[in-house]
Formats: sequence, C-alpha cells, structure tokens
Amino acid sequence: MENTKYTGKTEVKKVKNKRWNKYLTAGMVMTGIAVTLGIVGFFWTPYSTTAMSAAEKFAPPSLRHFFGTDNFGRDIFSRVMQGMGTSILISSLVVFFSGAAGIFLGALTGYFGGLVDEVVMRITDALNGFPSILLTLVIISLLGIGMQNVIISLGLVFVPGFVRIVRSEFIRLRDADYIKRARMMRVGNFRILFVHILPNIFSVFWVSVMIGFNNAILAESGMSYLGIGVQPPDASLGKMLSDAQGYLQTAPWYALAPGLTIVWVVLGFSLFSEGIRRKGGTQR
Amino acid sequence: MKYVGKKIGTLIMTLFLVSAAAFLAFEIIPGDVVASILGTEATPEREAQLREELGFNDPPIVRYGKWVAGVFQGDFGVSYRYSKNMNEMMPVAELIGDKLPVTLWLAAISLVLIVLVSIPLGVLWAKSGNHLLDAALGVITQASMAVPSFFLGILVTWLFGIMFRFFRPGGYVSYQDNFPGFLGYLLFPAISIALPKVAMTARFLRNSMLTELDSDYVRTAYSKGCTKERVMYGHVLRNAMMPVVTFLGMIVAEIVAGSIVVEQVFGLPGIGRLLISSISTRDFPVVEILILYITFVVIFVYFLVDILYKVIDPRIS
Amino acid sequence: MIKIEELSVAFGDTEVVKNVSLELRDGEILGVVGESGSGKSVTALTLMGLVSDAAKVTSGRILFDDVILREAGRPCDKALYRKFQGSEMSMVFQEPQTSLNPTQKVGRQVEEVLLLHTKLDRGEIRDKVLETFRAVGLQDAERVYVSYPHQLSGGMRQRAMIAMAVILHPRLIVADEPTTALDVTIQNQIVELLRKINAEQNNAMLFITHDLHLARRICHRVAVMKDGCVVETGTAEEVLDHPGEAYTKRLVEAVPSRVRGREGRTAGGRTCNPGSLTGENGKAPSEPVLQVRDLSVYYQDGGQALAEEEGREGGNRFSLKAFFRRNYRQYVVHHADFEIWPGESLGLVGESGCGKTSLSKAILGINHYIEGNIVHHSVRPQMVFQDPYSSLNPTKTIGWLLQEPLRAAGRLDKSLAMTKADREAAAYDMLRRVGLEEAYFHRKPSELSGGQRQRVSIAQALITNPGFIVADEPVSALDVTIQAQIMELILKLQGEMNLACLFISHDINVVYRMCDRIMVMKDGQILEIGETEEVFSHPKEDYTKLLLCNSQ
Repeated sequence: MENTKYTGKTEVKKVKNKRWNKYLTAGMVMTGIAVTLGIVGFFWTPYSTTAMSAAEKFAPPSLRHFFGTDNFGRDIFSRVMQGMGTSILISSLVVFFSGAAGIFLGALTGYFGGLVDEVVMRITDALNGFPSILLTLVIISLLGIGMQNVIISLGLVFVPGFVRIVRSEFIRLRDADYIKRARMMRVGNFRILFVHILPNIFSVFWVSVMIGFNNAILAESGMSYLGIGVQPPDASLGKMLSDAQGYLQTAPWYALAPGLTIVWVVLGFSLFSEGIRRKGGTQR
Repeated sequence: MKYVGKKIGTLIMTLFLVSAAAFLAFEIIPGDVVASILGTEATPEREAQLREELGFNDPPIVRYGKWVAGVFQGDFGVSYRYSKNMNEMMPVAELIGDKLPVTLWLAAISLVLIVLVSIPLGVLWAKSGNHLLDAALGVITQASMAVPSFFLGILVTWLFGIMFRFFRPGGYVSYQDNFPGFLGYLLFPAISIALPKVAMTARFLRNSMLTELDSDYVRTAYSKGCTKERVMYGHVLRNAMMPVVTFLGMIVAEIVAGSIVVEQVFGLPGIGRLLISSISTRDFPVVEILILYITFVVIFVYFLVDILYKVIDPRIS
Repeated sequence: MIKIEELSVAFGDTEVVKNVSLELRDGEILGVVGESGSGKSVTALTLMGLVSDAAKVTSGRILFDDVILREAGRPCDKALYRKFQGSEMSMVFQEPQTSLNPTQKVGRQVEEVLLLHTKLDRGEIRDKVLETFRAVGLQDAERVYVSYPHQLSGGMRQRAMIAMAVILHPRLIVADEPTTALDVTIQNQIVELLRKINAEQNNAMLFITHDLHLARRICHRVAVMKDGCVVETGTAEEVLDHPGEAYTKRLVEAVPSRVRGREGRTAGGRTCNPGSLTGENGKAPSEPVLQVRDLSVYYQDGGQALAEEEGREGGNRFSLKAFFRRNYRQYVVHHADFEIWPGESLGLVGESGCGKTSLSKAILGINHYIEGNIVHHSVRPQMVFQDPYSSLNPTKTIGWLLQEPLRAAGRLDKSLAMTKADREAAAYDMLRRVGLEEAYFHRKPSELSGGQRQRVSIAQALITNPGFIVADEPVSALDVTIQAQIMELILKLQGEMNLACLFISHDINVVYRMCDRIMVMKDGQILEIGETEEVFSHPKEDYTKLLLCNSQ
C-alpha cells in the first residue's frame, strides 16, 4: 500500500554513503602494521626476547632499542612484537571457534525456534548479562592457568554473544518474503539455512567478529596482567604492563610501549569495523 | 504490579540457578582440597577430621542445601586459605566484610561519573551541527574505547600520581579512618573505570538521538512550530534514553568487571583483588560466595533497569 | 493566498523539484498527484518548512499572503516559519502510527500546539482539545485524551493527527497521503472528515496523493507532477477526464477503472463458468486445480495470529503459554469453501485482518493449524508477494534465483533433475517471457527497479510451471504505470501457460481488471463469491456494497 517514500530522506542517505571512507583506510593501515609485525614476531625479532643485559638496563627509547629496554635489559620492541603476535593469535583462535559455534547454534535456534531455542536463549541471556571477565575467571579457576585454557575459557565466554547476534539475524530473515518463497519451492532446510540465509548475515556478522576480536584482545591482555593468562617465559603485553608498573618512575616507556600497542591494535580494528559498517550502509 | 512480581520471580530463579551452577562447578573439579589445605601437616587422622568438619562426607545435594541455608543465615562458610589464628578458620563473611565497601564505593563513584558526564556529552554531540566538534568527539571517544582499563589505570597513576603528585601511588586510606580521604583515593581508580564507558555511553546516546531525530514524529513536532530545543528535550530525549537505560544496565556489569582489574592496578583492598587471589590459591568457598554476590548485584541492576524501563516506556505492559 | 513561484529544490547536485509553480486560494482543495519520486512530497515539505537542511532552494520563492516564507539564495528562516507552523499552516502525515510520539499521551501532543501559539490556561486548553476531538469524530474524547498512540486504532490516530492540525483553524492544511496507510472503509471516513473540515473552516488544502480516484473525488483543482516538474494543472474534471498532456493520459489510463470496463478479459475463449470450462486441448471439463472444502484456520496462540494477519513479525514462535494451552484455538478463517479452475483468476478482497493472509498461507501449506480439506490438482503452488524489495534474496544473481526452484525440484524428485545447461536455458527463456533482457541474468536484485523485481518474482514463481499461483497484492507497492504493466504481464502469462491464480488485493478496481470471479472476505468469513461482473453490478451483501462504494 505504501507507495510514496519521502524522497528527501533517501536522497540524503545516498549522498552520505558515497562519501570516501576514512575509517576503512585508517583501520586497514593500523591493523596491517600490527598483524605484520605480530606475524614476523613469531619467527624473527631484532633482539632475542629473553637475552638479558645488565649493562643496558632501563635504556630509554633510541634507534638501537626503539622502545628502550626493561629491568633485565631486554629489548622491549622485540618483546612487544612477540607479545602482540601471541595476543593476535589467541584472539583469532578465540573468535574463530566462538564465531563458528555462534553461527551453528544461532542458525539452528533462530530458524527453528521451539523448546531448544528457549533453553539455549535463557542460558545465553544469563551468560550475556555477566561481566565476561568474571566468567573467564571462573573457568580459569576450574581449568587452571595456561595459554590453552585462556583460549578455551575466552572461547566459551564469547559464544553467547555470537549466538545472540546470529540468532536475531536468522529470526529477522526467516520470515523474509524470499525465505518464505524458498520454503514454498521446497528447498531443503539445510540449504535454506546456509545457502539462502547465511550470506545475508555476513555484513552484520563481520562487524561483530571485529568487535569480538577487540574484546578478546582486551580480555587476553587483562588476564595476562592479572597473572592468569599467558605465562612467562612467553612474552605477553598484559604481563609486561604489570611488570612495568613498579618502574613507572624510572622507566615510563616500559609501561607505555605495551599499553600503547594494545590501544593501537584495538583502535585499528574498531576503525576497520566502523569503516566496513559505513561502507555497508548499515551505519547508525 | 504483576510485572514487578514476575520480574522478582525471574530474579530469584536466576540466583538459584547460578548458585547451583557455581556450587556444582567447584564440586566436579579434580584435586583433594583437604590435602592441599593441610599441606605438609597432613596425617590421615587430621584429614578425616577436617573432612568431617567441612562436611565433605555428605552427598553434594545435602551440602548444597546446607550451604544455601547457611547463606540465608549469613553464614558463608570458611575460607580454605586464610585463618584467624592457628586453630580457627577464617569465616568468608568476615573476610569479605571489610573489602565490600571499597568495591561498592568504587563502582558507585564510577557509575555516577559515567552518568553525569556521558549524558550531557551525548546530547551536546547529537545537537552539534558543528563538523569540527563532531569529528573531534568521534576521534576522542573511539580512542578512549580502545584503552583497556588496566592500562588507563597505569596512565592515570603515572600522570596524576607521579608527574603531578595528586595522590601517592599504591597508597590507601581506610574508610573507617578517614572517609573523605578514602573517597579521594577512589576517585582516580573510578576515572580509569569510567572513561571508556563514558565514551561508549555518549556515543550510544548520540546515535540513539540521531535515530530518533530521523523519525516521523519529530517532523510532526516541527510542523506544530516547536523549536529545535523543544523537540530535543520535549520529544526526542526521553525516547532516545530508553535504549540507553538498558545500555547503562549492561555498563554496571562492566563496571564490576572493571573494578576487579582496577583494584589490582591501584592496590585497593576490594573484593576484586580477593577474587583474583582466591582463584590463584583455589580458595573455593570464597570464590563461590563472591560469584554469587557479583551475580546478585548484576541481576539486581537488571531488575531495576526493567522497572525503570516500564516507567519511561508506556508501550510495555 | 499561497503562492509557490518557480520553486526548485536540490539535494546536493540532484534537483528533485524543478520550477514548480502552484497557487492556492482560501477554501480550495488542490490535489498534487504523481508517482513516487515525482517530487510531490518534497514540494509539500518545502512549503511547510520541514524539508531537511540538506535540501537547498535553488530558485523561486514561497509566499503566504504577502509574507515571503522562503526564497532562493536565503537559508530557511526557521523563526519566521515557527510563527506559521501549527497556527496558520499545518500538516497531516501519511503514517499516523509513526507520526505521533509513541511515549506521549495523545492529549498532550495536541495540547502542545495550543501551548506554543496561544495563552490559554490549562483548563481552557483541555476543553478546547476535547472539543476538537469530538469535532473530528473521536466520540470517546476523554479516553483518547489520556491514551498513548499505540492504544488507539489507525483510524483514531489519524483523527487525532487531524485534530492536531485543525485545532487552531489554520488557513492552510497540507495533507500528505493521509489515507494511504488505512483500510478502505476508514479511508473513506477520513476523506469525508477532511472535506467537512474544509467546508466548515474554509481553509485551503494541499492534498498529496498517488490515487487518482481519490484526487478526482476530493479535489477542486489538480496538479500532476512528474520527475520534479508540474506537467499539467487545471480543475479535477478537466485534468483527469480530459487530460491534455501525454503523461497525464498515460497515468489516467494506467489506473484500473470500472468505468472503462475489462477489455480483453473474456476474449480468447476464457469463460467464467466453471462447469463449461475446458482444458487446454478442448477435451472434457477438467478438474479444479484447487479444492477447498470446509476449511478453518486457527492459531494456538492468539497474539501471534493477530500479528501474522496484520503482517507484523510473528515474534518468537515458541510460547510456553501456548505450549501448555494446546486446546486453546483462535479461529481466523471459518469454513471456507471454494475451488479454482485451470486458467482462472479468482480475486480475494477484504480489509487487513479479514483472514486473507491466513487463508493463502493455509493453501500454500505453510500453516498447519487447519481443519477441513485442501486438495491440489497441480504441482505445488507458488506465491508472488507484495513487496518487490523483500521477495528476492539480495545476495544472489537473478540467474541463480531463477534456477533455484528447478534445483529444488530436481533434488526432491530425481526425474525432474536437469543439467546446468538446461536450467540456464530455462532461466533465460523465462526472463524473456517476463519481458526482461538476457543481461539481467547476471545482475543482483539491488540493480533492478521495483517493477523489474516483480517481474523476476513472477518468473521465479512460474519457472517450474506450477499451473497455480497465489498472488498477494502483487501490484500494490508499485506506481500506477508500472502497476498496469505488471497486470498486463500476469494476464498475458495466464493465457500462455493456462495458469490459475488466486489474486489477493485490497484494491477492488485492480481485482475487477484481473479476475474472472471474486470472493469477498470479512472477519474470517467468505461473504460472497461470484462472477466479477455479477458481484459488481448486483452485490448481495451490504459489506460488498460498502467496499464498492468506497472505492469508486
């Protein structure tokens, strides 16, 4: 029935979407640098991350040591590279596993509904409301401390968020006219779920993956900071920060380097996801 | 009233489920608690005696019942790690008792900061037609959201504690001794918790207002001859606040999480630090009670949000 | 009194209103008609000073008596406008649902006009609002006063909007599609109300509509707009009965009308008598493609039934209440009894909430809560939906979409499986048949216009040659000229493929053009069923008469 749209509004939106997307560029550059350095950090660092040198204790940032050295004379830049790599790796795994579980559970519960949906949703609702760090702490206290357990606990904690987003998208689309028509054509359920609906939720899903990735970076470094994440001798940004806290007066760069690195990575990814969101036109 | 009753029912149900889940979770983990409490002093007799004392000989369901009954009477059990003296074990209630106010005040100050700063900021931001202000706020908030609270805490310590000497890093005044001083010491940790949330909330409110400003009833209001201010404050703000209320509810959960970390950064003796140390030492009675307690706070806040929502949104029945 | 002189409005570089000149005298109703995108809404919003700041007036000016409200080259003087808005000029919008603030009581929203423009005290304001409510036909004024918009029906909300617009007796009322979102019978009441107000208060009215019948009925003069330009102006009779411009002519001809009759309907040997209807090769009387016997449709959960019928999202499918109250049934269709013959079009008319959606769902086998019998004698029926923008999967190409029904059929029944080349050939063939070029095969729905999408929808429904389709308001979301093309297409394909069709529509005139027989539904009951001509010339039921009369 509705056959006149206010042309005024639609015109304005069109103009907005065409605008050059600075967010995307900035985000891509920042994450590009971070990911490259992180990956390189696994195989090669300018200095050994464990080599100590009493002579070069607390050297301030210089051309020799970009970020200076720490209380054992270790090169902070090398350790940051390695720590960032570890953080990114852990977060990627966490997002990969929880995202996959989220798609699977969200698709089934959202599309079919029913008793299973009710039960799964009650549980995810309860978990979602929880501070995620508390949940990870509980799981860690059950499983014990270690990198593997960080991945497992964060992976579990992130599932409800993804389920929720995927589910709401499937609920939105399961009654879309084109899905109704697919059902009338007697397309199989599996095919409707993963061939007809799934491609339509990717734009929303990617944004939530990026946000999830950021949360994973923050949670992982937070856990390392509290001493229940990645354990020494592996370098991790959170652990470096907690070590550096005691030397704020003598060597502020020791804390600033890993801290600003976290900010860099997180900011890069959030600009990136904002850019994607604006490009997709689903800007709010 | 029926609505409130229903919500209270849900609240109790959830608490019950969480308590059962928490209890069960620690029930199934491996490791002999008794042996680890006694450590080197373990003898079969003492172990058996302690087992009896802690009630380990009962089946789990009975122990859960006793635990819940205890919680209702204010008896939270005893810590496995801390002891009052050589012969007496430390009751969890006492252990938590003087740490609780620290965390509660920290959370309260953070929340007040968030609400007081973010709402005017969000409204101002939504109203500003100024591109420069708009862009600046966009960059600032985006950046603040990327700073983890523990790093922010360290930055605050470095800047205000070491450079400007507004407070002594690592220092703390007990609330029993000097209450204003105590609040002063909590201010900087609260800022560390609040800053990223202020950015998030202001952004959220701004987006919510912009969405509302796009809706048809705003055009109707203008067609009546309303000024921009009248449209903003008389029509849009209230509708835009509705999702923000829910958002603030979630922020409270985040504040609790933030305080766990920030207490560690500033060396505050709150329940967050206790929780971390109890987890590291596997002091489960303490962990259980703290989880239950935090759950209660979070759920209670959600409950309040639901009620508030009903007050401001007439469409909910 | 109101003069719009050579007005042009642009968003960025695109001009959406070009050199529009209009004049309005006191007591006159000027209709502005045109299809979507013709610039009629932007013109009205610019006149009211409500167009967004992104819009620039690039030429011309707007005069209210002698006051220049807006002029090219000057920014919008909002303070000046505010003096006029609400008191001297007011607006009635299309969607009463969204045009009222959902969290404020209706009374307060109407009061605001008085608060802004008068110095009356609280009591006087209240009395005046109640009085106006009664004047616009809101009987229960006290209750409306303290209600929130969601507690009122669509018609009541629109009355409240009108009360808000007329309370200060403004000299100009701009009504932007005020009845489009309403049901036919309510539509009629609102139109009468506006006419009454116009007669009583002698205010000028700018009436924007896409509905030429409506414009003909209510307007004194009419301006036809196309692509931002006024194509033709004159008295309603002149313009709509004897259009001078080619575009107006096309527009008028595209509108299905009972006066012009149903050329081509009964030609081609297609008679409407089911008994004598013959199969394709003139053999013995065929059997019906669909037989519905004593069909009742119900829902277990009342709230959902209503939601689905009104086309809203059904919410969560699972409800504990419904789970435990299995025996609770709310009927939305009662004892439907009819059949559809090959090649026949059966029209189903009724207002929203009458059960037509539930009935069609039951026929398509989507709804399982049914009693009675549905017998198909064809391949599984397919459906064409109203909204061309949501009925095609946006992530797929047109070619993929057209092949999907064939793939699905092949997977279910191995004997129907086709090779990729055959499927593609079939898809290309179907594209041609619905009048689209082959190039569209590789495009995505977002690159197509509404009419083109609806063609693809029809192609997708017909590619498996189902013999029977359900078309749910297939042309209601389209502009009149496109509407006419799609209607012709459906008629052509029906002839070619001996296709039976259940044609659901709220627009009596469209049904008249399209259908051999029609069926009138109200409150879940089939009131009347018969041959189109018969029903139109001799309606048996009062309700049918009302529908017919309202859509004249």
